[in-house]
Amino acid sequence: MEYKVEAHRIMSISLGKIYNSRVQRGGIKLHKNLLVSLVLRSARQVYLRDYYGGICLSAQQAREWCEGEYMDSEQDKLVPGSTESLPESDGQSEVAVDKQEPGNVVESHAALDVESEASGEQDHAENGVLDLGCSELKTPEESLEASPTCEVSNVVTTISSNCISGPPPSNPKQAAETPNGCQTDDGESVEENLHEPIVPHTCTNRKRSAEDSELTDSLPKKTKVMSSTLISKNDEKKVDTEEMDTSNVSSLITIFGSSFSGLLSSEDGAQPDSEAEDSDSGQICCDQMLKNLNPWSTAIVAF
Amino acid sequence: FLLAFPSITLIRTVRFLPLFHVLISVKGPWIPVSLFLVYKIKTQMDEEIDTRKINNSFLRDHNYATEADIISTVEFNSTGELLATGDKGGRVVVFQREQESKNQPHRRGEYNVYSTFQSHEPEFDYLKSLEIEEKINKIRWLPQQNAAYFLLSTNDKTVKLWKVSERDKRPEGYNLKDEEGRIRDPTTITALRVPVLQPMDLMVEATPRRVFSNAHTYHINSISVNSDYETYMSTDDLRINLWNLEITNRSFNIVDIKPANMEMLTEVITAAEFQPSQCNTFVYSSSKGSIRLCDMRASALCDNHSKLFEEPEDPSNRSFFSEIISSISDVKFSHSGRYLMTRDYLTVKVWDLNMESKPLETYQVHDYLRSKLCSLYENDCIFDKFECVWNGSDSVIMTGSYNNFFRMFDRNTKRDVTLEASRENSKPRAILKPRKVCVGGKRRKDEISVDSLDFSKKILHSAWHPSENIIAVAATNNLYIFQDKVN
Repeated sequence: MEYKVEAHRIMSISLGKIYNSRVQRGGIKLHKNLLVSLVLRSARQVYLRDYYGGICLSAQQAREWCEGEYMDSEQDKLVPGSTESLPESDGQSEVAVDKQEPGNVVESHAALDVESEASGEQDHAENGVLDLGCSELKTPEESLEASPTCEVSNVVTTISSNCISGPPPSNPKQAAETPNGCQTDDGESVEENLHEPIVPHTCTNRKRSAEDSELTDSLPKKTKVMSSTLISKNDEKKVDTEEMDTSNVSSLITIFGSSFSGLLSSEDGAQPDSEAEDSDSGQICCDQMLKNLNPWSTAIVAF
Repeated sequence: FLLAFPSITLIRTVRFLPLFHVLISVKGPWIPVSLFLVYKIKTQMDEEIDTRKINNSFLRDHNYATEADIISTVEFNSTGELLATGDKGGRVVVFQREQESKNQPHRRGEYNVYSTFQSHEPEFDYLKSLEIEEKINKIRWLPQQNAAYFLLSTNDKTVKLWKVSERDKRPEGYNLKDEEGRIRDPTTITALRVPVLQPMDLMVEATPRRVFSNAHTYHINSISVNSDYETYMSTDDLRINLWNLEITNRSFNIVDIKPANMEMLTEVITAAEFQPSQCNTFVYSSSKGSIRLCDMRASALCDNHSKLFEEPEDPSNRSFFSEIISSISDVKFSHSGRYLMTRDYLTVKVWDLNMESKPLETYQVHDYLRSKLCSLYENDCIFDKFECVWNGSDSVIMTGSYNNFFRMFDRNTKRDVTLEASRENSKPRAILKPRKVCVGGKRRKDEISVDSLDFSKKILHSAWHPSENIIAVAATNNLYIFQDKVN
């Protein structure tokens, strides 16, 4: 939980840095922004893992998830199953489970089960990753109230969900649907599932149906993938540019002004637009721009 | 007979205040530093000689005065006689070592200001609406071949070759011009004379001999002169270009790591250097912590490395900031050419060119910062690019840290020391005592705790004399020169 908050904070800071880099003297520095985008991606991976647990679930999504099979019966199956499938992962992902808005009953139930697991696994694995030492544990309610930055984070998670290279948001409810036996290392299908951003954003409702069908498949795989992702920093799947949620992109663009189509579509968070500005002048600049144009950023490209 | 006028008008006078000379020695026989000189580079904003054009003044805010004094590079020339510093304001200051005199044996070889000139100006790229900083990123000296000195200085986009020469004679007795340079009325000339060279006060002038521009799309981070003394390379984030020192309108691209699709970018080049004795070999370091050695004989475009030096990451140290702290900020060949030294955020590593799998030696510079990476990320300190230097015999390596600390590591004895470049702690004939950072709870008397470190005082740039134990350390806008104790 605290890791999620920390990840959220780091994401906000990273975005601030990227934004400020636009007005710094000397132009946008490619190296620094690349590093910041890598941090942003790492933080987002951690954040999303809990995010799928439903920090900022929309009501509709929450309802859907709570319907029928996502309920208590799965909880029992889930918890031991989760521990099996997350041998190396920490307890945070399970702690994150209990953040569903509706179903407080579910929450507490999950929390009870989860905490027993969490205590066992807390000290494991991700201490290196997430032991940032600068955040406090917050209750689910408090973290839900992190709304000032929620919009930014929502946007970020949407934007960067394309960039997922395998963080398995172990939503136990969803995972329960498919017993955790499956260990498919099908990177392709994972990617595709991820391309449908499982974004608990109030605006993004239209992808829900697609999500549901894929979530159940994707999550168990993601749980496996996550543990390996944490270890191998170079384990990056090249994600093709996917259709983004236009509203989220627009809000991000509004925040940054321009020049961030790269962050939207690239897993590495490079900034091709800014690069385009930096890149070869004249004719080549135009070509670069054209290559990187996304429909919604057309208006933003100045040259 | 043509006079070569310096083409740059000095916009600001720079005052140097040699504060005091102190004799200091360090405990421990293997690190001799003693004589202590401080030069404080201070800008004097002189209104009447402010001849800035409109576009420059648009870019330059007078508040930058202090920031413009921050030293951004330090470099000894190949004999150690000259020491050049570049600052954020685009100025280069060259110091020259005094000749040792029998009259004053105790003032052995101090460095005095030799020449000052404005190397780069702030520019504005109108096409891309980009401001180009005038900060001097690197200075590299050329080997001396005649009485004049040559150095290359670069900012983000343009490399310039400067000639620093002395003039102690001037021609007098022109026919068509009078002594002030005014044209004489030809009707008043009744006789012809031959101009003669008359002695004058020694003047050191710097003239730009070559300007190598428009070759880099991204920010230049390093330059390196080849041992063939004919070529040099300039490196930006994604490309390395090879130049001939004589030819400014053409360069050859020898490394290009720009991906076809910029969205696939994962690493950038952070530094590059030629091997000191083999003119076909060079290395470049990346933001992912790897170093590639390339041989220019293999192909015109050296995208395929001959050797790849990389150490697998320790998974137990994984954090959000692993990528940042593994990015290499500096790479230096040893004088022998056999070893490579790399600096990342927390460590210095020495590599053997014959072993690619892991470094020969790893030295922790300030490992106590590992738990503070989050805060250092917030205040941008984690992006600081520290440099590292070898001593003349390749037995000691030195690098900077925070709180004006700098560290030296003796590779043979495996001993290390932390020293501080600060005037407050130094008195005449005092011992420069080693400093220590305390990490645990219990702090001893002379130790400083990690939380008390001043992260705004960082030593990023330093230089070691090529043959003697003289070091130049840049601490923000102060230049400290430490020297051997004279017995």
